[in-house]
Amino acid sequence: MTEALVFRQEFAVKGGDFTHAGEVACEIKNLLKELGLSPFVVRRASISAYEAEMNAIMYAWRGRLVLSVTPRRIRIIVEDSGPGIEDIDLAMREGWSTATPEMREMGFGAGMGLSNIKKNTDQFRIKSKVGRGTRLEMMILTNGREP
Amino acid sequence: MNGETPHSLSVNDEKCLGCVYCLTACPTKAIRIKGGKARILDNLCIDCGECMRFCPRDAIESRTTSFSDLGAFKYKVAIPATVLYGQFDNSVQPGEILFALRRIGFDYVYEISTICELNNAAIEKYLNSHPDPRPLISSTCPVVVRLVQRRFPALCGLIAPIEPPREIAAKILRANLPRVLKIPSSDIGILHITPCSAKMVSINRPATMEKSYLDGAISIRDIYKPILQAIRQNQEDTIMCHLFPEILLSGIGMGTALSGGETRGLKNHRTVAVSGVRDTIRVLNQVEIGLLKDVDLLECTVCPDGCVGGPLAVENRFLAKSRIQHLVDKLGDRTVVDGSDISLLYHRDFLSFHHPVQPMRPPALDSDPGQAIRKAKRRSRLVQKLPGKDCGACGAPDCRTLADDVVRGLAELTDCPFVKEEKK
Repeated sequence: MTEALVFRQEFAVKGGDFTHAGEVACEIKNLLKELGLSPFVVRRASISAYEAEMNAIMYAWRGRLVLSVTPRRIRIIVEDSGPGIEDIDLAMREGWSTATPEMREMGFGAGMGLSNIKKNTDQFRIKSKVGRGTRLEMMILTNGREP
Repeated sequence: MNGETPHSLSVNDEKCLGCVYCLTACPTKAIRIKGGKARILDNLCIDCGECMRFCPRDAIESRTTSFSDLGAFKYKVAIPATVLYGQFDNSVQPGEILFALRRIGFDYVYEISTICELNNAAIEKYLNSHPDPRPLISSTCPVVVRLVQRRFPALCGLIAPIEPPREIAAKILRANLPRVLKIPSSDIGILHITPCSAKMVSINRPATMEKSYLDGAISIRDIYKPILQAIRQNQEDTIMCHLFPEILLSGIGMGTALSGGETRGLKNHRTVAVSGVRDTIRVLNQVEIGLLKDVDLLECTVCPDGCVGGPLAVENRFLAKSRIQHLVDKLGDRTVVDGSDISLLYHRDFLSFHHPVQPMRPPALDSDPGQAIRKAKRRSRLVQKLPGKDCGACGAPDCRTLADDVVRGLAELTDCPFVKEEKK
């Protein structure tokens, strides 16, 4: 794929900023629609972006989301500086969450985030260093399946 | 009525000054100022009527059925929206308003609050028998249906497939009047009386059936004066309406003129009611990124406070709301529609959509994916060159939209007065 055919945009995510939660995911959603992608592929990508955005808002201090799109695939990378994840296998499990009671009260932290991302992406990689931060890399094929 | 534009809203060039009120008010960025006049972009307009509300010169007009068009029908039937009752002082009872409609030329007037209750009960039945997906979205507001089709196509499958009360009412009349009156169906004109600028569009181009059961929509603005005159001139009707109340009203149905009215009847379900076009878009955005899954029914009405805030209503919506609330309180929560009738109609599919709401792709930057990416990249660069003042002087509502128009070939970067200055 030639470099010219990659659309790339970066977004900042601020830890603890619940008032603007979901705005990055919405912006990505609208961008992908403008690129003419299938509504169902757009929906899967935006659900994944939202879950990743929320994780960074809930747990990290700051983070950034990088969207890159080629005619074949959507790649979303979310890197944060934060506490990191101790046991990734456990975190991937449905229903597992380390959310505080306050977060749960706000309706977050049902422990579905990472497993939801896995469900909605065609490729999902996660790397984390305790005390440093987490990096999620998600890939969705533009001709991918419907949900 | 099948004119070149599929929309009900149009600009009266004689009144339009080319100011920026409608430009910035439009929630889908469907207006541009070209040649000093506002232009509505067909593929983006959802007929919400926000431009009408904000235009200080009344230059945006809504195409509805005019009173004089009624002559085309031998037998004229009116189905007034319950919002109409809120346009008159509470001393004027619904029965008198319906009677006045007969006085001004309708042969038959069909009261819709019972059908609103029927619709509500059908939605409840549907929710009970379909545990997912969630949240379902009510189909009553025609703008919401259009908005979902165009801006949120992936959500089309969430629209609860029960026809709105106006279509159910017209369908009932179509099924029965020709038989009872012994006249051909084509001689009967069924007209909805409405505060809504989008009903005409939903009648001319229905989203869930081949042909609407309604023949047109009359604006409350147009019919208000004749009704008022008929009431004033025929004071004796008042006594008759009081002594012979021949209509059955439903409190549950009446309440659907207000935001939260549909959800109020669904006591055993988790519901959310949203009103106003911007908040509706915000909430639909949340649904699209996977939220609100614990909500059974999402009631969205794009007019503020619900249909009562429709752009073609006459009375200010706060007063109208209070009057309708007064009627709702008086009528109470008692159901007036027979449960077995509801079951029968529901199971016969009499109340359901003929076909599902079809998703429509929003206009992409380019039909070729590679080309679309190139244009998106160019647009990002153009946005950097623009001042970010979102002043509207170029004719687009904001700088990003100008950049978007430029890459789509609809505008020039030099339309921006600030870019020009830099060049000099």
